[in-house]
Amino acid sequence: MNRIALLGQPNSGKSTVFNQLTGSRQHVGNWPGKTVEKKDGTYTWNGQTYTVTDLPGSYGLSGNSDEEVITENYIKSGEADLVCVLVDASQLQRSMYMLAEFAELDTPAVLLLNMMDVAKMQNKEINAELLQEHLGIPVLPFTAAENKDYDALKTLFEKELASPHKLASVPVSADGAEVSAQDKYDWIDRMLAGVSEQRNTVYVMSKLDQKMTRPVLGKLISLGFVLLAFIAAFIICMPFMLIGSMIPPLLNPPIANFLNSLHVHPWAVSVFSLIIPNTLYFSISMEAFVFGVSTAFGYLEEIGMLARIAYQFDGILSKLGLQGKAVAPILMGFGCTIGGTTGTRVMDNWGQKMLAMAVVWAVPCGSIWAVMPVISGMFFPAWGTVLVCLGILLYMLVMMWIVAKVFGPKLSPESARAGMVMELPPVHKAHWGHILKEALYKAWDIFNRALRTVSLISLIFWALSYSSSGALEASLLYRIGTAIEPVTKIFGLGWRTFMGFLSSAFAKEAVLGVLNAIFVGQSSVLDATFNAKTVTMDAAALTGMMLQNVSKAEALAFIFACTFNVPCVMALSTTYRESHSLKWTARVAGFYIGGALILSGIVYHIASLFM
Amino acid sequence: MKLNELAAGTNARVKTLQGDAHFLNRTASIGLTEGVPFQVVRNDRNMPMLLYVRETLLALNRADCERIEAEVKA
Repeated sequence: MNRIALLGQPNSGKSTVFNQLTGSRQHVGNWPGKTVEKKDGTYTWNGQTYTVTDLPGSYGLSGNSDEEVITENYIKSGEADLVCVLVDASQLQRSMYMLAEFAELDTPAVLLLNMMDVAKMQNKEINAELLQEHLGIPVLPFTAAENKDYDALKTLFEKELASPHKLASVPVSADGAEVSAQDKYDWIDRMLAGVSEQRNTVYVMSKLDQKMTRPVLGKLISLGFVLLAFIAAFIICMPFMLIGSMIPPLLNPPIANFLNSLHVHPWAVSVFSLIIPNTLYFSISMEAFVFGVSTAFGYLEEIGMLARIAYQFDGILSKLGLQGKAVAPILMGFGCTIGGTTGTRVMDNWGQKMLAMAVVWAVPCGSIWAVMPVISGMFFPAWGTVLVCLGILLYMLVMMWIVAKVFGPKLSPESARAGMVMELPPVHKAHWGHILKEALYKAWDIFNRALRTVSLISLIFWALSYSSSGALEASLLYRIGTAIEPVTKIFGLGWRTFMGFLSSAFAKEAVLGVLNAIFVGQSSVLDATFNAKTVTMDAAALTGMMLQNVSKAEALAFIFACTFNVPCVMALSTTYRESHSLKWTARVAGFYIGGALILSGIVYHIASLFM
Repeated sequence: MKLNELAAGTNARVKTLQGDAHFLNRTASIGLTEGVPFQVVRNDRNMPMLLYVRETLLALNRADCERIEAEVKA
């Protein structure tokens, strides 16, 4: 077997190397019994297959977290034939700490001096040959984002697997006691003697950093960058979304006509002509959005800007038990919760990641901001709608706080928060090829899963709302809805609005269409849900019917219930996929559904006093 | 002097680090060990401290900074 493991600190470029080596031949699973993500991949080189394992990110191997324990045990198990240790050439002394911790494990290794481009930019000279001589293992100068460096890396792996080398020297303690951190740095200094000049120069902040690190100005600049990133993301994804939106009207009639001409059962007709084209449309939209957001935020991350934004918001987020890094996923959540949940990959450990996702759910996504003001506008004057939106923003902060208080102690215990640090890499040029490639991987992954998840959920929803006569009263949804109405009334939701609430868990943009179908009854609930964006609706008729059947207090309760309900099913499935924990995804989802109903009840009963 | 009491621009060394094994491992892995020289780059209220240590610009929690004693270089 040719099994290589990648080891390095979070900012060492490890995942870039992994992705570039293995491309789409990746398998993502769990480490046995843990929620920590296990990433394996393969590549072929000179006719041989190589397996690469991306070891969970950690700063060291001292057993501080699940990630570190897994990494240490994996290397100790000897499963990997070769460990590739990555260090940041621009911060050589500090990032060699991982190698110093690894040294005690006595395993064949190679050292990758990554980020040579940044080191060069800072005029840092590194004598890789001398370092190789000191260490006794091969040392390869490298830039992970440069495609041309990978042939040398694969050649090196091939050679080393045939005749491996181990570190010639390991850190030892001066007095025979346990090897201390100081001993490790002393060892690093010995290894680096003559290799790179230890310039103890005074650090001078760049002009940009002088502004970016100021408490108020820095936050404003950060928000500006995020806003620009959103605009860029939309420009990137718009063309794809437009093409996607043309699919249902293009495919629906021909498929329906064709199947009707074959005289197949109407059930099958609606499955193939409604669900499949719309699933395609949904999936393409999501894929496009994730691609746009990943490209824009990938750029901010790559040039080092995201770290500065994270630094600005660390103080605020630490009150929620989150690292500053969570700021990017939370802001992405205003666009799309799916983008936000995939954005939590930057977090240091699983607990932080899961907590960040739970908090991101509270952020109302773009679809909510498109739909809720419309519903509010039916019941309240313009200034009232402004108040409703402000109320949503305010409750968002409350909900984030509640979620952090409820799940924080378990996911991010006080003890694990110690030493929560990040580094601000020097701002540098972006490698576009690499950014686009990573964004494509993410988008492709979302597309694949969206196809599966959306089809499945669509089928379930379709079955619930199917009615042979076309009348709403014949559907399962109606029967269930009216049966439990006495219960939902407690929360201020009649059976109609409760159905709207249920559909908000499917897709927020479906809410308006579903309300239209239920109240006006011109199109079926089925069409309304799956053709959310194409069904024409008579706004005046809907407004009239809603005003007749729903009180203002009920409407307000409904708006809050839908906004703070679980995000759409795709966001749920993405959270499951990112967290690898069905238990936690279900737990948080249950909390949100319960929370939304209770919130709805509170809003309804309070509003009833005034309206 | 506690680390969080140092003004921006100060050059100092870490004197002692206080905390459990977890904290000490964590700080060591990012380059903060006893005796290491560093420069305070920024120290603003309600913001993490910015330190330049071992060629790295680090943002460190204020609460953690209180557990680190430093001595200003003469």
